[in-house]
Amino acid sequence: MSAQPASATREWPDDGCSRVPNWIYTDPQIFARELERIFGAADWLYVCLEAEIPNPGDFKRSQLGNRDVVAVRGTDGAVNVLVNRCAHRSMQVCTASRGSAKEFVCPYHQWTYDLAGNLLGVPFRRGYRGQGGMPADFRTEDHGLQRLSTTQRNGVVFASFGAPNESLETYLGDSMRGYFDRVFDGRDLVVLGYMRQRIPSNWKLMFENIKDPYHASLLHVFLVTFGLFRLDQQSAVEMDETGRHAVLVSRRGAQEANEATAQMRAFKRDFALRDPRLLDPVREFPGDATVVLQTLWPNLIVQQQSNTLAMRQIVPLGPHSFDLAWTFFGYADDTPEMRQRRLRQANLMGPAGLVSLDDSEAMLLSQAGIDTNDDETCLVEMGGRTVGNEPHMVTETAIRGFYQHYRSVMEL
Amino acid sequence: MVAAAPGVEIGLELRARLADLYCAYDDALNDGALERWPELFTETCIYKVIPRENFDQGYPVALIYCESRDMLMDRVVALRETALFAPRIARRITSGICVRAVGPDGLHLTASFAVFQTMTDQPSELFLCGRCQDRVVEDGGVLRFAERLCIYDSTIVPTSLVYPV
Ligand SMILES: [Fe+2]
Repeated sequence: MSAQPASATREWPDDGCSRVPNWIYTDPQIFARELERIFGAADWLYVCLEAEIPNPGDFKRSQLGNRDVVAVRGTDGAVNVLVNRCAHRSMQVCTASRGSAKEFVCPYHQWTYDLAGNLLGVPFRRGYRGQGGMPADFRTEDHGLQRLSTTQRNGVVFASFGAPNESLETYLGDSMRGYFDRVFDGRDLVVLGYMRQRIPSNWKLMFENIKDPYHASLLHVFLVTFGLFRLDQQSAVEMDETGRHAVLVSRRGAQEANEATAQMRAFKRDFALRDPRLLDPVREFPGDATVVLQTLWPNLIVQQQSNTLAMRQIVPLGPHSFDLAWTFFGYADDTPEMRQRRLRQANLMGPAGLVSLDDSEAMLLSQAGIDTNDDETCLVEMGGRTVGNEPHMVTETAIRGFYQHYRSVMEL
Repeated sequence: MVAAAPGVEIGLELRARLADLYCAYDDALNDGALERWPELFTETCIYKVIPRENFDQGYPVALIYCESRDMLMDRVVALRETALFAPRIARRITSGICVRAVGPDGLHLTASFAVFQTMTDQPSELFLCGRCQDRVVEDGGVLRFAERLCIYDSTIVPTSLVYPV
């Protein structure tokens, strides 16, 4: 592992995005630039679901890039997203991961903030018996908790560290907004629970994984065998105009051998479940897609795999580590049977998921290969060298789309 | 050693049989004999591995959520035949087994567990720790788990949970 700085010697290996240099997964200076330009700029970052903070005072901690924030519903019902940092000595003012509060009091010197982040009080601000205290020109108005620009769409909360020049709707673009609204159609959501894993790889490998339909037919024996996601099924890869957001769309097929499964060593015709309730998917969305995995720049994957719905939030921790925070949810109008089905199908997802664990292990092994070869490049030319929507899965076009946008933001 | 909470009366023989069951459980996992693991459960068992934050706040989602012995067997076959993962050794240690109550639905027990993980060429590390909340019943002349909840303390799992807890 070399520790060369990002400098003029760091040159992207081609003039497109069908080659990706390994140093973008290892270089601390690249990571620092990502925090600033990707996670700390004017992009809309996923924060939480409104269903997690239904009542005034309800709060939920979230991590955006390397910043810890608190999403809290104010007394007026609006959602505020506040940086969890006291204006005094930078201590975290909120230590619970979720809960309900009337105000936030810094434990250190009890500076007190309201639910909109305004500084309400500073103990001994005027000193004691004429001695000490803050300077006369100290204004509480200037020392609130940093409050981010915030927006919501059908129960999903996003925030931005900059002053976004686009509404969330424009940021998503028409087609991605359509896929987003397919799951978030305005119905009330119910949180079913959380999972969280720390993966020793670069955060971008997570996005690449969900933008790569080619691997699913080869790596995921379980998916392939049960026809949940396989490249001989009618499918599509679509992106927004910039390439930063994408969806993989697929339809469920049968567990039968054919010309395509012959190329999949993974396909196991004889594996039958002893308890078939594990895979008992029911169509619940309009259209015939049974899987839609949406990657939203820069920190969210919206997962609809059969009847499991989850937000997967990416929290980058360094060039070699990220947290993947899963929030599973359903709808308030789910029947008990549908609720149960979502919980059963969650066996395929998360750190112990019969499908997802392949991915976390693959990222661990990818990073190990990258770390020991950071002067090499990765090849991303399945399905060509350009970026565009494709009506099939034998393509890495969405990875190229991601790097097309990445290069422009990072000026690499 | 199996303890009993104050007020719970159980004989030494039953305690010894419970100790055997708990030992057989750890042995099956520590020997890598996953096929022996479902045999320690009843046919209609519940087995879950759930983060403490979900359990405490009443959220039902679990990392592993099995509602029958068949589902346990399906998971074993899936791990053996379909899953990709880096090689590892998991070692499970149980401590503080205590019978909390004896009811018509069986024996209610709790125990602490720790799972250590050793990846190839890496030092051993604590992987997960937490408590088991169990219900054990007589099933065809042997004791089996009718219910086992493995409630782990951390919110974060290191990379992935491959083997059952
Ligand atoms: Fe995958």
